[in-house]
Amino acid sequence: MRPATRSMLMAGLISVSVWQLGEAAYIQAKAWLAQRLIAAAWDQARAAGVGVKPWPWADTYPVARIEAPRQGARLMVLSGASGRTLAFGPGHVAGTPLPGEHGNSVISGHRDTHFAFLRELRSGDVLMVQAANGGVVRYVVSAVEVVHRKDMRVLLDAGDDRLTLVTCFPFDSPVTGGPLRYVVVATRDLQGIVEI
Amino acid sequence: MQTVLNRTSIAPNSQSYSIALDVIRFLALAVMAGTGFALLLAVTIVALTLVVPPAAASSGAPIVAAVSHSEKPGEQTSGSFLMRVRPGGEYQRSPVLSTDVKIVVSGVVARATVSQQFRNDSADWVEGVYVFPLPENAAVDRLRMQIGDRLVEGQIRERGQARAEYEKARANGSIASLVEQERPNIFTSSVANLGPGQTLTVQIEYQQTLRYEEETVSLRFPTVVMPRYIPGNPQSEKAGSGWSPDTDQVPDASRITPRVLAEGEALRNPVTIHVELDAGFPVGEVKSRYHQVKVEKRDDNRYEVSLAVGPFPADRDFELVWHPLAGEQPRGTLFRESADGETHLLLTLFPPVGHKADEKRLPREVIYVIDTSGSMEGTSIVQAKKALSLALGQLAPEDRFNVIQFNSTTEQLFALPREASTANLVAARRYVDRLRASGGTEMAPALQAALAYPAKEGFLRQIIFMTDGAVGNEDALFRLIQDKLGRSRLFTVGIGSAPNGHFMTKAAQLGRGTFTYIGDVAEVGEKMAALFGKLEYPVLSDIAVEWPAGVTAEAYPQKLPDLYLGEPVVLSARMEGPLTGTVEVRGQSAGEAWSAKLALPDAHDGKGMGVIWARRKIEALMDSQYQGADREKVREDVVALALKHHIVTRYTSLVAVDVTPVRPLAEPLDSQAVPTNLAQGANHEAIFGALPRTATPARLHWVLALLAAALAFIVYATRYATRRLS
Repeated sequence: MRPATRSMLMAGLISVSVWQLGEAAYIQAKAWLAQRLIAAAWDQARAAGVGVKPWPWADTYPVARIEAPRQGARLMVLSGASGRTLAFGPGHVAGTPLPGEHGNSVISGHRDTHFAFLRELRSGDVLMVQAANGGVVRYVVSAVEVVHRKDMRVLLDAGDDRLTLVTCFPFDSPVTGGPLRYVVVATRDLQGIVEI
Repeated sequence: MQTVLNRTSIAPNSQSYSIALDVIRFLALAVMAGTGFALLLAVTIVALTLVVPPAAASSGAPIVAAVSHSEKPGEQTSGSFLMRVRPGGEYQRSPVLSTDVKIVVSGVVARATVSQQFRNDSADWVEGVYVFPLPENAAVDRLRMQIGDRLVEGQIRERGQARAEYEKARANGSIASLVEQERPNIFTSSVANLGPGQTLTVQIEYQQTLRYEEETVSLRFPTVVMPRYIPGNPQSEKAGSGWSPDTDQVPDASRITPRVLAEGEALRNPVTIHVELDAGFPVGEVKSRYHQVKVEKRDDNRYEVSLAVGPFPADRDFELVWHPLAGEQPRGTLFRESADGETHLLLTLFPPVGHKADEKRLPREVIYVIDTSGSMEGTSIVQAKKALSLALGQLAPEDRFNVIQFNSTTEQLFALPREASTANLVAARRYVDRLRASGGTEMAPALQAALAYPAKEGFLRQIIFMTDGAVGNEDALFRLIQDKLGRSRLFTVGIGSAPNGHFMTKAAQLGRGTFTYIGDVAEVGEKMAALFGKLEYPVLSDIAVEWPAGVTAEAYPQKLPDLYLGEPVVLSARMEGPLTGTVEVRGQSAGEAWSAKLALPDAHDGKGMGVIWARRKIEALMDSQYQGADREKVREDVVALALKHHIVTRYTSLVAVDVTPVRPLAEPLDSQAVPTNLAQGANHEAIFGALPRTATPARLHWVLALLAAALAFIVYATRYATRRLS
């Protein structure tokens, strides 16, 4: 291989590497930065009592804040679970009750950004949810399962008050669009209602 | 550079040390360059996407206002197709169904015999339940159950009584069948006590008038019920066997949502169709829109039509159209049937096409509403978007417009209608291009948004509503249209392979507009062109009918609607008195008085005019509920009329019971719903859903970045090999 060819090849490969690194960093950075902006919108929303968009042209707004004390995760949940919304934060699946309300509230999030902590959740772990009205509801993880993405039973009302967190599975696969989902079910802990 | 120079003096045996140094140096360089670049890139992109609004970024185009229908965020109405679908493979034990349709057409009237053959391939005794569509104006007036060579005639009963008789026979072990109406265009047939290996045929007959517009008669036979979106909160009780629970807004949802085959399962429910056509005038051409047919000519007026390549799966509407030879279109027709001392008439009359040459075109305010729910995903949304683009191209600069899309939520392009300027049209086209179909079909908020504000003074206000009508709460929507219409006119455009004909026609009727069907993207141009012709203005208004002296007539529709280009006056009447004199129809056409006369003695003898009249009257009675008529009173009137004319309605059913029990009572009876195909071109996942996609490609990017870096290093390392060779 002539030195010139080699240099060009190396330059090309390093560019690709940098570009891919940039793409990955962009996804992570967007996920991180959006959460900061949303948190600000959340405080405003709670003060105003209505949904406030985190940036003027956003097509979503925060509906709840979810906290996993043991895992050190604190996330703003957005309305809707479209791909665009999920880039900014976990999304509340339309058609299910809001987090903190009665019934089965379903939230989905990206396995490699916001919901990466789901793999560390174990039965008995605590999740705190702050609803838009300010009330904090305590949930305790009761089940973890892996289901097919067409298995919509996950979204059905189970007759109790629960939080269902959904993310992609397996966590470490580089391939997107797989058929499996990792589902964490947390049921409401009636002893733990705190008003703040 | 220092190390590079030094290396030449290093002894060959220390080369491994040199490579290690190289690795470290390369990694350090790559990591520094990489992270630096990546950070810079990430920050720039994030800053760009977050700080610059996407719409504002593009040359002064108006910002797309996202308006949610609910005043408060979070007030999202629940209700959707919520996943009540079961995994496939459980249908093995349901009876196998095939349908054979024979239709005899005389003029604008069709009489059809639909034979549904249920075959029980299982080893158990079964009850089969099949939910199927019929034309929305079909008057089902006969049921026959065929067991081997025997025929059992069905009887008309009040709905509850019919069900009781059927259930009694079912419990006794007798063969029985029941035909119930769920919607004017959705029926359920049930057969009880079908033995192992046994075959049974349910024959249903109906009468209908055909659509005759723009010199084209069309015969439409729907074959499948598109999965309907069911709004509202689920109730604990469930009346039917469908995939949806009943809800507070659609209390019979489980009866109109037959299970749909899982993705990838072979299509079922084959249909054969045979049409004997007597057009009543010399025919120019007979063609089928969506299926290959064999057309055999008997004489100038008569044809026989059958499927060219055998049965087709029940997954889309069949439509046959024909038109008169040029210059041979009848100006009007009058059919008469005298039976049981009563005379019924069916009158069809084509007004002249008047054009007001000197009339100034009124500017229009057009609200385009497009359904972007999950059931539109696939071929339907392509058709709808193309139709909408064409419609936007029809706007004149003095017109005003807005675009509203709806699925689970309603969103409009502009907060208020704007003038059709180039910039606004560019924004609209961009908006339409970006539309994607997914989610539920919350139609009421979209209708409300379209009807919300009054038309600007001096403007004709028109709403073009593009949808497949796949909803279960039609009545609530009709009531809304009735209440809020005002000066607006609603034109429905039925999209897809199995649109809800009941919704399209009734919404257009209550909205005082017209309906159009688009079933294929190739039809968009032709169908929309016809619609644009109609949008100009009604060609005939203030229509009144005068009967000859001595004749009293009860005619439907009671108040004739304004007619648009190509539409005829269609009137169904029951009359008393002598068959002499002339019926006169008067109206205003192009600002001038217009009238036409048809002589009663010239009426042709026709069959089924009485049934058609009764069906029209029942429809008028049912419609009166949208204006607040007493439900119980309507029900009584409908039941009385239906029992007299033997017609299946919301409140009356046909039931046939074979007297001899066949099933030993020790054997259990297994109730099985016949699954239906998904309408052609529709997307299973978009309708029945799947859990959200929740993986980003971040990990893939990391892997690729590492891979590229590793390759770069390998290339870097090859210089030793080359150096040694030289």
